[in-house]
Order: sequence, then C-alpha cells, then structure tokens
Amino acid sequence: MNLKNEPVLEVNVSADGQANVLFRGRLDATAVASAWNNLGARLSATKVKQLALDASGLDSFDGAGLALLQYLNQGKMTPRATISLSGLKDELKRLLNLLTAEDYEAFHLGIQHKTPLPEEVGRATREVTTDLREQVDFLGNLTASFAGTLGSLKRTRWAEVWHVAELAGANAVPIVSLISVLVGLIIAFESAQPMAEFGAQLYVANMIGLVMVRELGPLMTAILLAGRSGSAFAAELGTMKVNEELNALETFGLEPMRFLVVQRVTAGVLLCPTLTAYSMFMGVLGGVLVLLWLGFPLALIWNQMQESVHLRDVALGISKGFVFGAIVSAVGCLRGLQTRQGPSAVGVSTTRAVVTSILLIIIADAIFSVLFFLPVKL
Amino acid sequence: MNPEADIIISVKDLSVSYGERLIFKNVNFEVRRGEVFVILGGSGSGKSTLLKTMIGLYPPQRGEVWIEGGNVVSPNENQRLEILRRFGVMYQSGALFGSMTVLENVQLPLDEFTALPKPIKELVVLAKLKLVGLAGAARKTPSELSGGMQKRAAIARAMALDPRILFLDEPSSGLDPITSAGLDELITGLARHFGITFVIVTHELPSVFAIADRVIMLDSRVRTISAEGKPGELRERATDPWVRQFFNRQPDPALSFHLDKSHA
Repeated sequence: MNLKNEPVLEVNVSADGQANVLFRGRLDATAVASAWNNLGARLSATKVKQLALDASGLDSFDGAGLALLQYLNQGKMTPRATISLSGLKDELKRLLNLLTAEDYEAFHLGIQHKTPLPEEVGRATREVTTDLREQVDFLGNLTASFAGTLGSLKRTRWAEVWHVAELAGANAVPIVSLISVLVGLIIAFESAQPMAEFGAQLYVANMIGLVMVRELGPLMTAILLAGRSGSAFAAELGTMKVNEELNALETFGLEPMRFLVVQRVTAGVLLCPTLTAYSMFMGVLGGVLVLLWLGFPLALIWNQMQESVHLRDVALGISKGFVFGAIVSAVGCLRGLQTRQGPSAVGVSTTRAVVTSILLIIIADAIFSVLFFLPVKL
Repeated sequence: MNPEADIIISVKDLSVSYGERLIFKNVNFEVRRGEVFVILGGSGSGKSTLLKTMIGLYPPQRGEVWIEGGNVVSPNENQRLEILRRFGVMYQSGALFGSMTVLENVQLPLDEFTALPKPIKELVVLAKLKLVGLAGAARKTPSELSGGMQKRAAIARAMALDPRILFLDEPSSGLDPITSAGLDELITGLARHFGITFVIVTHELPSVFAIADRVIMLDSRVRTISAEGKPGELRERATDPWVRQFFNRQPDPALSFHLDKSHA
C-alpha cells in the first residue's frame, strides 16, 4: 500500500541523459494531474536518451493512470529516447496493451478538414435556392389544399380551427392588451414633449390615431403572433415530423397540408384581423389616457381623431391583419414541415419561423405603404 | 471475509408514487460487488422509475438507497457529488449530447471533474472508446452513429471517470440480435475484467439469460418485487405462475388472440 507521505511518482534524471520514473501504490487521476507538470519539466530539462519506467511498486491504476503510462511508454514525452518498462504486473500489462500505437495514429488522422470557402458559398447558395423553391411549392400546395377544402367544407376539421384560434388568439389577448396600451402610452408621451414646443400638443391625438390604426396596431399584433403562435406551429409540426406522426398521416392518405396546415392558416387569417382591431383600440386608448392626463377633454380628443382617421385607414389596418395572419401561420407551418432530424432540429425550425415571419411581415407592410400612397401621389 | 462488505448497493423499503398513483412499494434488495444485477418486469411495472430513484433523479415517498455507504435519497450537499461520482448511467436512448462529437461527449466529465492535461484526457477517452469498440468513431457526431453504436458510446461516456457501478436502462432495446449480443458480451467482459458492478433494467429475455448473475422481478399486480434469484432457477422453479409465464414468454390468456376460437 502507498503511504501518505510517499509520492506515487518519482522522477530522477541524471546529467548523462538517463531518466528513471518510479511508480508506487495507486496511480489515479489526482496523482496524474498533480505529477504532470513536474514530470514534463524534469524530462524536458535535459536531453533524455534513455527512459526507464519502473512499475514494480505499482498496485493499480485508473483510466488516467493507464493513459499516463501509455503516454510515457509510447515515447510521446521523450521522442528521442529509448524506453524500457519493467516490473508491471501481468493484469496491468494486459490493460496497457489494449491501446496500440496504430489506434493512436488512426485517432489523430480522423481530424476533419475544414470546408473551403467556395464550397461553403456554393452550399449556402444552394440552400437559399432550395428554400425558395420549397416556399413556392408550399404556396402552391396550400392554395390547392384550400381549393380542395372549399369543395368539401363539411369534412374540414372545424373543431381544430377553433382550438387553434383559441390557443393563438384568445389566449393572446392579455399580452396584446398590455403591449398595445403601453406602446400607445409611450408614443403619446414621447411626442407630447416636442409637440408642446409648437403648442401643438392636441395633434398628438391625430398622430396616435393614424399611427395605431394604420401601422403599429397591425404590425405589433403580427410580430406578437409570430413570436407566440408562428413559433408554436413550427414546434408542433416539427415535433410531429420528428415523431413520424406526419408519416402516419400520410400513409392514411391524409395529407398534412389538408389535415393540419389549412386549419392553422384559416385560424390565423381569421384571428389576426380581430386581434389587430383590438390592438388598434387598446393603442389609441393608451394615447388617450396620456392626453386626458395632459388636461384635454375627451370630446376634443374624439373630435381630433374623427377628423384625421378615416374609414379607409381602418380598412387598411384590418386588411393588413388578414395578410399578416396568413403570413405568420403559413410560415410557421412551412418551417415546421421543413424540420430535419436531430436534437436541435425543432429549435432551428422555430427560429426560422419567427425570423422569416417578421421579415415577410415587414416586406408586406412596405408593399402596403407603396400601394396605398401611390394613388395619392398620382 | 464479512459478507456485508460485499454489498455495494442496498435498497431499503423503497416506495415511489407519481402523484396519487403508486408505482411500487416496500422494495428491498441488495446488489453485490462485481455482479450483473438485472431488474426485470412487465411494461409499466416501474423498472425505469426504480432505476431513476436509485440514481437520485426521482425522490421516493419512503425508503433509502445506499451506494457504497452513501444514501442517494437524502445526501447532504457535500456528499452528493461524491456519491454521483461512484456510478455512471447509460440512458435508454443513449442521451449523447447531439451537438458534440463522440470524443467530446466522453471527454466532458473529464473536463469538468479532473485536472488532467489534454493529451492524457485524449488517451483516456481513446481507451474507453476502444473498450466499447468505437475507437474509429471518435470524431463522429451521435447522429452519424447507428443505434447500437450510440449505446456503446453512451457506455463509454458513463465509464469516463472509472465508476465502480454502471446503471444501464434498456441496453438492448431496439437493437438487432447481433448488436445486442455484442453489447451483452461487452457488459460481461467489463464486469469480469474490470470488476464493474452492473445494474440493468431490461425485458429482453435472451439478454437476461446471457448476462445476469441475479435478477429481481417487479410485479405490476402486487406493485413490489415478486421474485428474486438466478434467472435459470426462476425459469425452472418459480412457484408463482406469472413469473414462470414471464420467463417462458407465454401470453396472458386475457390478451391472447381469440378470434379463431370464437368463430371456429
């Protein structure tokens, strides 16, 4: 047995390049870790020509001890020395022979080469074009499925539509309320200060009305929906794909498109405008609260708003809601269906769902603005 | 030698429920050092729950699990890590970290719990992988491995810190007979040559007869252990007809296919 005061490993290096390493007791991970630096320093200080490993006192070792013995015995620490190992017990020797020099080399040959830049660019380009094609494919499929659904309305799973609408719509009311009121409040506050310099604080009412109804109401609702429900659609369909549930549907002759996607997109298209209208109202409410606090009477505020916000502005906001709802739910489903294999696949899909949704929402919003103002300019 | 000294795990009066639902109660058994101990039972009998309770993942209602003199059920904070270091676990699906290579998976415990230098760590990992026959797959990611290889890699990872006990959850489920037999051989080899104690949950009978020194049967009818002993003896001499039925792979009459009889 190894006594506490005796080191497990002892190194002696003579000036003529003869090194002796003596092992005793149990060579375990702690002993290896504490001896490593000293061992390296001593063996590299002089040019070692002969390394003698004396293991006659060695009782046992663990994985780390075995590794150290192998490392020394294969000359990794003293590349130019001749090495001898003596006194190792038979059962320990068998373990030592477990790993051969070939294993070690094969292990180091396996290091993967880096992908060259052109190859990476090519792959990325291909991925983008494939994705574009899949999007077009999806859009076509979705349209066809909707057409098919219209032909057999009774067979559409309406219960699923309502269920999704409840999860994605009704349950989102609290967060939409909070964010809309606060954004209305913030914008009113921030703009009231500069407007006061021109004595035009009352016009904050006009601005809040327009901004909330035409832009922020639809936009905030859509972005919230993308984060809350688009991602959920992607995760749900993605998990179903990973669990082979989509395959099960398909072998029944039930296309996931008609069985799952149509319901979600229908729910999205129906609930997004509703939520948008609600968000407009709450946003305006936030602004009105600030104006009331500034001392304007409600009748005056109402009057200002009626003058500036017309029915066509509300119609624009609501129609944005329809389009954004379709984008968010369709993109969520598309990314879900595109889910690949592996532990991070569903996570990747949800990220892609949110990113693509927000991107497309902003692009659609820009198109709306251009279409809406083009006739005004002409 | 004192026979008590040979007991490495002792489970005392263990009862586990999920909420209101009782999984098992009054489970008592002991595992001896160096043996391959198998926990058997039908589907839903609580085998995996028992394993999870033994490794401290699930708190029991009552009872104790002693592993080499440390109680897993209510260890103090200082003791907890030290007890965890005494055993390695292979989960049913392998549970390799998908974002890492096999090498990094096996090296992770070494990185976290030892101060070993990099070349030594690599050699330790390589030795473990060689033991499970995966020396050539060190740079692969888990998704590039077959099911059997993933389980082998998971065993290598469980062995990274040289534990004295290995817990395996369903090692041969989902494997073909050849791979499964290879895994059985690995288990018996590790037990014999390295003195590792195995606690294995399975219901693959061929595998049980090949590897088990002793088995216990968790019985979902009585919600506790209904038989304990060597697998061969239980098959031949069990007094409980259900245990004999289990070992001889006979179907439950209530669940058998009756169509041919009723419509004959």
